[in-house]
Amino acid sequence: METFIQLVVDGLSTGSIYAALALAIVLVNQATGLINFAQGGLAVLSAYIAYAFVQAGLPLLAAVLLAIVLSFCLGALVERFLMRRFERGDPDTAVVVTIGLLTLVTGIVAVLWGYNNLQFPSLFPLSSVHVLGAVVSVRSLATTVTIVAIMALLQLLFLRTKLGLALRAVADNPASSALSGLPVGRLLMVGWGLAAALGAVAGALVGPQLTLTPGMLDGALVYALAAVILGGLDSPIGAVAAAWGIGVLENLVAVYVPLIGHDLKIAVPFALIFVILLLRPQGLFGRKVVVRV
Amino acid sequence: MAALTSRRARIAVAVLVVVVLVAAPLFLPAIVNQSLVRIGVYAVAVLGLNIVMGYTGQVNLGQIFFLGLGAYVTAYGVTHGWNIVLVFVAAAVITGIVGLLVALAAARLGGLAIAMVTIALPIVGVPLAKRLDTFTGGSQGTSAIFSNAPDWSGLFNDQWQYYIVLLVAGVGFLLARRLVRGKYGRAFAVVKGNESVAASMGVSPYWTKVLAFTIASVFGGASGFLYMAAVQYTSPETLSFGHSISLLAAMVIGGAGSIVGSLIGGAYYIVVPQLTNAVDPNLTTISQGVILLAVLFLLPDGLVSLPRVLRRLTRRGTAARAGGALPAGAPSATEKHHSTTGTPPHHAPAQVQIPDAAPEAPEKTERHGRS
Repeated sequence: METFIQLVVDGLSTGSIYAALALAIVLVNQATGLINFAQGGLAVLSAYIAYAFVQAGLPLLAAVLLAIVLSFCLGALVERFLMRRFERGDPDTAVVVTIGLLTLVTGIVAVLWGYNNLQFPSLFPLSSVHVLGAVVSVRSLATTVTIVAIMALLQLLFLRTKLGLALRAVADNPASSALSGLPVGRLLMVGWGLAAALGAVAGALVGPQLTLTPGMLDGALVYALAAVILGGLDSPIGAVAAAWGIGVLENLVAVYVPLIGHDLKIAVPFALIFVILLLRPQGLFGRKVVVRV
Repeated sequence: MAALTSRRARIAVAVLVVVVLVAAPLFLPAIVNQSLVRIGVYAVAVLGLNIVMGYTGQVNLGQIFFLGLGAYVTAYGVTHGWNIVLVFVAAAVITGIVGLLVALAAARLGGLAIAMVTIALPIVGVPLAKRLDTFTGGSQGTSAIFSNAPDWSGLFNDQWQYYIVLLVAGVGFLLARRLVRGKYGRAFAVVKGNESVAASMGVSPYWTKVLAFTIASVFGGASGFLYMAAVQYTSPETLSFGHSISLLAAMVIGGAGSIVGSLIGGAYYIVVPQLTNAVDPNLTTISQGVILLAVLFLLPDGLVSLPRVLRRLTRRGTAARAGGALPAGAPSATEKHHSTTGTPPHHAPAQVQIPDAAPEAPEKTERHGRS
């Protein structure tokens, strides 16, 4: 039983990491209608930027906050000078652009900082507490709490503020939004900036656990995408819930199903997706969309 | 009359191309032949990716998985002493079946979600290949030597491999050309343009996507067979996610929705890493990203559209060409990226267009005529 609880708790904490990236993906999708495959790459870059500030002698919290602000600007610039060229065109082309961006950012990080693992200091103390017989590190607890807080803020932003309404309107129909007087370009920049800032938070939360490498979030990105498919592209809560579910499930399966084990546990969310899609074509939380021609 | 001469010219060019392709390896140095062989291998993989992505508009990040699967099936068949034709058929059919199963689930997803599912293929494939070591040799990989030149041929190995690739790739390209210009090609184009319109025309978007994906995986399996012919060794590294991204980049850079573009994409996949490695191996990733973004910026239709774009720049204003029906398709194909098609349901009718199947024919002959 103790092992079980331990596995569930650990699963929730890794699930929170996937959740942070999944939230960033949902955010860009809400604001622009795109899937951003560069999300993980941008988050890695932010983590390295924070690392550089720490190396330069800044206190950790200041370095992370500065990295978040810089990432916001970076995300907005990427939208303005790269994505804008493709936003009105074929969505498939835009997705390929984000893949190109992922390649580019990974390459830049690798050239600037190399492929060696770098130790990123933790924001939270490394001590641990006992809950129901399981050892829970304060760090993973704090990570989970941070993710819940961000999720709540995002939900508030999208459903209760004018900015959120405007972001959703632009994603849904840029042409009508423009006709209604919304500054479409600026809103798209804000959407990308927010997502990049969120990625920076994810990078800072994960950095200590994974140690910094150019590809440190590649695996997490895949889980995040799986979470987004399962939870729904339009639902921050759904994405987070799915990310936690995946984190817990993969941990349990890795231990209790020897056939799968630790190397193949990444297949679990996708096996789940396949089964669900075959049984429930519109997705777990999806609605049937009726389109008029 | 113009049609007749152009038809004759095209046949003449085709014959010339075949003669050059058949004769070339006898005169070229081995290293060049080997590069050509690998270009052929990846051109077939890119061609498959083009069918599902370029022509049908379904972003597929898992094509390398099918190449790897085809390579493993080939290795298994060869080491168990199967007839080589049977090995090839098995490589194509087994990957086709796996592709079909994946597509049955993935094609249910609308829009970009299919991209998010296919990303799983290489990422699950690598640990899976390590795990199934009885079939795959685990991390060590497995080798299969069946493509050494037989004694009676009097050829070198690289030349013999070249002819294997030329035969398979040539047939593959001809079949793909027929496919995308026929009934199914039109179905692909309508599904790419607007799924609702396709459904209202009696074309099932679901089954069209499943078909395109399955065909793409068969091409992937065939390219896996060719990969084994060229490299004679495969390991889990062959189907890593990074290679899948490179394959996608190669397709876009060559030209999405273009048969010739697939060949250019294969060449890009092989030649550019060689060049960038020669400059500085550390910069390979960066330069790949930069090249991909630059091509998308400047030539959204890929390198294959370069002659067309240059011609438009030099002869702006005199867009009309001789040949009547053909020019109508050409501008629409190049301009589709500038039009506001970001919101599919609202611009439905404008998007339905026959793909650039028609304009590609004169493009191709002109390209070859020039070189």
